[in-house]
Amino acid sequence: MSRILVDNLVVTYPLFNRAKSSLDTQTAPLDAGEDFGGAHKRLVRDRRGYVTGVRALDGVSFRVEEGERIGLVGANGSGKTTLLQVLAGIYPPAQGRVRVEGRTTSLVNINLGMSSEATGNKNITLRGLASGRTRSEIEARRAEIAAFAGLGEFIDLPVSTYSAGMRMRLNFAIATAFEPEVLILDEWLSAGDAKFRKAAAKRMVEFVGQAGILILASHSASLLQENCTRGLWLDDGQLRFDGPIEEVLKAYEQDGNRLVGAAARA
Amino acid sequence: MTPTTKIYDPHAARGVSGFLSDLWVGLSMVELWRAFAWDEIQHRYRRSALGISWIVLSFLMFVAGVSFFFAGFSGRGVESFVAYVAIGYAAFIFITGNFVDGCQVFTSSSVWIKAMSLPYSVHVYRSLFRSLLTFVLQMVVVIPILVWAGIRPGAVTLLFVPAVLVYLLNAVAVQYLLGLVAARFQDIGHLVTSIVRLMIFVTPILWVREGLEGARALAADLNPLTHYVEIFRAPLLGELPRSTSWLVVVALTVAVWGVVAMVAAAFRRRLPYWL
Repeated sequence: MSRILVDNLVVTYPLFNRAKSSLDTQTAPLDAGEDFGGAHKRLVRDRRGYVTGVRALDGVSFRVEEGERIGLVGANGSGKTTLLQVLAGIYPPAQGRVRVEGRTTSLVNINLGMSSEATGNKNITLRGLASGRTRSEIEARRAEIAAFAGLGEFIDLPVSTYSAGMRMRLNFAIATAFEPEVLILDEWLSAGDAKFRKAAAKRMVEFVGQAGILILASHSASLLQENCTRGLWLDDGQLRFDGPIEEVLKAYEQDGNRLVGAAARA
Repeated sequence: MTPTTKIYDPHAARGVSGFLSDLWVGLSMVELWRAFAWDEIQHRYRRSALGISWIVLSFLMFVAGVSFFFAGFSGRGVESFVAYVAIGYAAFIFITGNFVDGCQVFTSSSVWIKAMSLPYSVHVYRSLFRSLLTFVLQMVVVIPILVWAGIRPGAVTLLFVPAVLVYLLNAVAVQYLLGLVAARFQDIGHLVTSIVRLMIFVTPILWVREGLEGARALAADLNPLTHYVEIFRAPLLGELPRSTSWLVVVALTVAVWGVVAMVAAAFRRRLPYWL
């Protein structure tokens, strides 16, 4: 049984080096801060104007039931990755409520969650143990993970010798091998080569067949259409649209066109 | 479908009970922190020819060097002084090592803290397990020194067992606390390293507290490390530790746990934002 409940989630990243924005809000043209989707609204300032934090998510609420496959869309910096990390239990929210039921596996950053001095095989052990698996469960999956990652003899070399693609394949293979009930994936998936994308898509279809929850953030409309049923559109840290994936993608695309059109007229 | 196994719920864990469950669930993941620790030890010594024997070698070099230069000033016999230095130095390395390691226990694990939701205490146990291994190796060297010095085990020797337990209890609290504080305030790491460097001179490791008088005896007694070392070293030398020392140690242990419980309850959930 898996389920996700998010209620009025607010996430603010603290900033400790007391930056003062070089953009003078008094004299700059009114729309100067809006080039990146109104970034100025997301900076948290103290009384003297120093930036003390960045508000990544601002009052996000939704719920996901068993078997739903969610596609997360939004511009760069809209809060997608932060939302994924909160759902994965990495960043405990300061405000709002988050409840994730089910064994969760997340792949948000392929450079994290691996000890780069250790071999691929050793990392399979570490990640398996960290996911609460026993040694025998890990041994039972080891060959399958190595085969899917397609690393050959590299599996016995330190991860620091791997290419980015090899790291990604190993990471994905480990993350999906232990049958998570909630799978959280960030957009790096679309960075793989064609062969890997195909294998990964097949894995995801299998996974979805097991009635788990999939949360997938991506800029690739086709990837989302293939794998997701429902879409969430994040805009400036707020949930702008929640609906069937086709509708969300259409609205998101129209908005993008409108912005491009407005920029062209200006 | 497999039943839901909830290994750890970071969203639910708040306050003091959240801290305690973090400690407890982390402790139960023995296999994981042991694997982390072994991995760390392996790649620390992987490219050195003598490998892990360096722990023993550098320990012996220190004990031999110090004994050669300082034995004459101590007022103890040479054999007895060598044993005194060896035990005291091993204890000192373990205790102060926890301060230094504690400052980076979370920052050095940020690759894992930012990737998976695990109890943060897993990283504390990982770090502690590694320094415990060093401690045990050094104590293995101490045994032949004790035999050579003619110190025979008696009933009082067993008092070293509660001392080790208290060491471990303190180590968990100190590393967790310093790990949190140093993640937020990066200056703490530098401060702690500077203080630890000084401590070797003001703690009775190279010199003997007995026989000191006046201000210097008082200064030694005001240093908590004196008492921590005393409760472990005295029984192994066949002496009864002063009850003052045990009193100070127990009081400080309670105080450290009180502080870490308050700090962790309030700020533990901010840790990933600080890394």
